[in-house]
Amino acid sequence: MKFEHCIRCTICVENCPVFRVNPAFPGPKQSGPDAQRFRLDGEKSVDQWVQLCIQCKRCEVACPYGVDPAEIILKAQIKYAGEHLRGPANYLFANNYYLGALGSLASPIANRIAATDFAKRTFNLMGISTYMPFPRFNLMSMNKGRRKVGKGVRKVVFFYGCFLNFNRPDVGRTIRELLVSLGLEVVLPHQVCCGLPALGNGDIELARRFASKNAAILAEYINKGYDVIYGCTSCGLTLAHDYPGILNVAGGKKVAENSYNVSEYILKLIDEGAINPTFGPVETRVAYHIPCHLRAIGIGYPAARLFAKIPGLSFDVMDDHCCGLSGSYGFKRKNQATALAIGNQAAALIKESGAQVLAADCGACRMQLAHLAGLTALDPSEIMMASLRKGASTP
Amino acid sequence: MSVIDYDAVVIGGGMSGLMAGIHLLEQGYTVAVVSRGDPAVCLSTGCIDVCGTGMDPLAGVDALPDEHPYHVTGKEKIRAALDKFSDIMTDVRLPYAGRAEENRAIITPLGTTKLTCLVPRTMETAPRKPDEYIHVVSFNGLKDFYPSYITARRKNTGFSLFDAGVTTTMGIAARFEDRAFLKEFIAWLKGLEIPDGKLAFPAVMGLEHPLSIMQEIQSQVERWGFEIPTLPPSLPGIRLFKGLKRSFQGKGGDVYWGSPIASVERSGKHIEAVTIETKGRSTRVNGRAFILATGSFVSGGLFALRDEIQETVFGLSVASPGPRDDWFNRDFFTPGHAVERAGIRVGKDFRPSEDSLENLFVCGSIISGSEVMKYGCGHGLALTTGLAAAESCAEVLK
Repeated sequence: MKFEHCIRCTICVENCPVFRVNPAFPGPKQSGPDAQRFRLDGEKSVDQWVQLCIQCKRCEVACPYGVDPAEIILKAQIKYAGEHLRGPANYLFANNYYLGALGSLASPIANRIAATDFAKRTFNLMGISTYMPFPRFNLMSMNKGRRKVGKGVRKVVFFYGCFLNFNRPDVGRTIRELLVSLGLEVVLPHQVCCGLPALGNGDIELARRFASKNAAILAEYINKGYDVIYGCTSCGLTLAHDYPGILNVAGGKKVAENSYNVSEYILKLIDEGAINPTFGPVETRVAYHIPCHLRAIGIGYPAARLFAKIPGLSFDVMDDHCCGLSGSYGFKRKNQATALAIGNQAAALIKESGAQVLAADCGACRMQLAHLAGLTALDPSEIMMASLRKGASTP
Repeated sequence: MSVIDYDAVVIGGGMSGLMAGIHLLEQGYTVAVVSRGDPAVCLSTGCIDVCGTGMDPLAGVDALPDEHPYHVTGKEKIRAALDKFSDIMTDVRLPYAGRAEENRAIITPLGTTKLTCLVPRTMETAPRKPDEYIHVVSFNGLKDFYPSYITARRKNTGFSLFDAGVTTTMGIAARFEDRAFLKEFIAWLKGLEIPDGKLAFPAVMGLEHPLSIMQEIQSQVERWGFEIPTLPPSLPGIRLFKGLKRSFQGKGGDVYWGSPIASVERSGKHIEAVTIETKGRSTRVNGRAFILATGSFVSGGLFALRDEIQETVFGLSVASPGPRDDWFNRDFFTPGHAVERAGIRVGKDFRPSEDSLENLFVCGSIISGSEVMKYGCGHGLALTTGLAAAESCAEVLK
């Protein structure tokens, strides 16, 4: 009964990106703990506005009393979705994994079709927004590469997630290369979507099916001594928080306990004395946008600690703003204005910082902010790999 | 379990914790701030109360009871802390005005006045004389700020309302960051016929750039303008917190936000690490020294049971104001409930004096005898003890 711990201090409201720009959303305090006492089992929800919550979890991170407004709202979203007709966009995005698999297979055609005006009009009719070009599908998805690379005492499973898999396998391969170059054995087992898009689009059963499948696969590796590395912080939060939590799948706790952010894992190996990489210079100025879901995991910002080791690199940690896209949220037409207003605030501060390039450990943040700030967006691993390559070439 | 090492680990991300953290970073140490959530400063007026018992805060400090923590720091430390604070806020482009020797009366949203010491520059031009004309400019439907509270109490006032299209402090502040909105607002303001005098705005004039927004309005309208703090969500409080946090992070400090502390590891008199409840798996944060800045009851540093008061992180001995029957005044609104004196007793070096721990330092309103409500000394005490505790901590780290 966490909602009863709320003392109505409004700190969550101060941190809600949607509340700032969309007057239709009453904010996390009212949508979460305040409305919770009126939500009854067996009575149909009328709180349509819960769908406006972006699930950035900033309210949870800010709440000093452990109320978790975002979780209360998530449950209300699922309840609402279960009782009402969902739009085609929700169905499509919940099944993002199948969409990605299909798009990747048919990428030479799919990318061309997606870029046509006809497709855009169709998307708009379906409630899908097209303010930003759709991420391109890639034929050479991660699941088509080698299943096992590298050799080492430390063995890891790479949970790359849908975005790296189908859209940016080049980034996924850089992360793999980074881990291998540090002397790790990296295994890429068959895996499905983490389940977050289904959860965020009101289909908890589908999310649970995805989660069960992944948890079974990952737990088996964990039993054999592998650690899990996730390539995207939203997948990471789902593994670490939702698998043993709201999705409550067998093996979920084991997966949560043994999953690591890429940079967090590298720091751990350095701290344990297992590796001692030489960081070469990277002369650039980076705006490091902290994905909301990295904040929510609570492990701090490990990539920033590694950036600090790279000579020549100057960077600003920017953790006060959400990018506004939040996976499929911003791709829905009804959320487009909100997503843009939130994203433009973040982009304005990034531009103001004088950064030459931006970094974020989440593909959706990179996509949105690169588009709005007009800068190249990199995963922190790409910067680290560039540094290590330099480090290896200098004696 | 992840292993992470720092020179100093500050527990609590409010005014005193961030001040302590910034000082230690400037001395070249690695610092992490661990905070369970956003601090109470976010709900404050953003003004720095040093001692609100009279017009001269430093003279007021002399008259405080012997056990007040200001007597441990001394007045020079108050001056040093305020100077340092002013420099930090200038750096993050949220400059403050005022000096340690002088309090000023600011107008509250209820139309009353309150004494404070340093104010954000957006509040600097608030009238010093009670009969000066002020024109309150507020917004249609804005909750928690009613111009008539002010016009009813003060002579020589008037008000106008602008339709911002949104009715919340956060929403209006976000709109002011938009150039087109600001232009529209200024054009409307220019069209008003107002007697000579100053413009008073609720403190919603922007999130990130309030001073430049206020300066633009003043120069375009050719009048002085100032912000009046609002009830929470309070923009000046948020700006102050974000500014300090930005300074801390800009100097290389790390933050671990949103997770409670699950356990503490100590060996004898030495604290080795705190473990925070991160998602999925706990995260251990190692430090050579620790600073406790978790605040009093509201912020969760202290927790009152039926007949006992506990310190929530290390289980330190709490100086308690006698039995529960004596904790509260009969009238809630009579300032100075005895329970506000509860807290951790500290020595000259800001170590807890009743627990022998060699690498723990305590700062902020969790120190016993602070009584920040009674003496109007909240942020000033936080900054001063934050600096003092960090200086003692630096001695250990040398």
